[in-house]
Amino acid sequence: MRVPLFSMPLVKAWMNLIGLSAGSAVLTMGGLSAEMTALAILLIALAKARVILVRYLGLDEAPGVLRGFTLVLGLFAVLVLGLYLV
Amino acid sequence: MNDSSVIDDLPGELMMWVLVVSELLVFGAGLLAFLGVRLTDPAGFTEAQAHLHCTGAALNTGVLVTSGFLAAQALHWRQADARLAARLAMGAAAALGVVFLWIKGVEYANKAEQGIGWDTHPFFTFYYLLTGFHAAHVVAGVLLLLLVAWKDSPRNIEAGAQFWHMVDLVWVLLFPVVYLLR
Repeated sequence: MRVPLFSMPLVKAWMNLIGLSAGSAVLTMGGLSAEMTALAILLIALAKARVILVRYLGLDEAPGVLRGFTLVLGLFAVLVLGLYLV
Repeated sequence: MNDSSVIDDLPGELMMWVLVVSELLVFGAGLLAFLGVRLTDPAGFTEAQAHLHCTGAALNTGVLVTSGFLAAQALHWRQADARLAARLAMGAAAALGVVFLWIKGVEYANKAEQGIGWDTHPFFTFYYLLTGFHAAHVVAGVLLLLLVAWKDSPRNIEAGAQFWHMVDLVWVLLFPVVYLLR
């Protein structure tokens, strides 16, 4: 039986997601102010969302839609940060 | 002018994209409402949040991300006509979905042992509402992954994987807001 190969772009996307998740965990251990931690955590969440949209949901084939998602998720993150910091 | 080109570019099932956008809007509104209510009692929310088991939730992030990878890999293999590998990858993705639910169940049981319910504090009302609704999607996703592993046309596998990535996407936005922002 032919053993199928893993897709390297998918493997890289998975490694990025695991690395970014580990980054979030490290951030919660302290060292930064609450505001900077929140900003960094939200930026990491946006980066993870973008990896899923581009690599897993295939939006690299639809750059216009990807821009729309990026804009709306960016606005969501700004609202979250604003409500958190008030 | 070609108004349909953006829609035509979308990979996979259009109705799945409608679902993805709908779910993101519902969960996004829920998370913003959660943060809005937090403004009325920030100290109480911080105190309540301290009862959450962040390690379990972080572990669940890894589980769901890995499961999403396997679902994406299943589609890649199915498109390359490696049907058995695709089915096994979908089955493994579903199994990790069950692991996610088990960890979530342990988390809920831990809250129950502490006497924490949905009406203990507004924080927990949102916590159970948001994570419970997400867990319900995980249950639906596990069933869908198993269904498409059985009925494994490329189109079915793609639709199942799309649903699962939506569940993954919601979690990567929900997790930091509910668990990490303190």
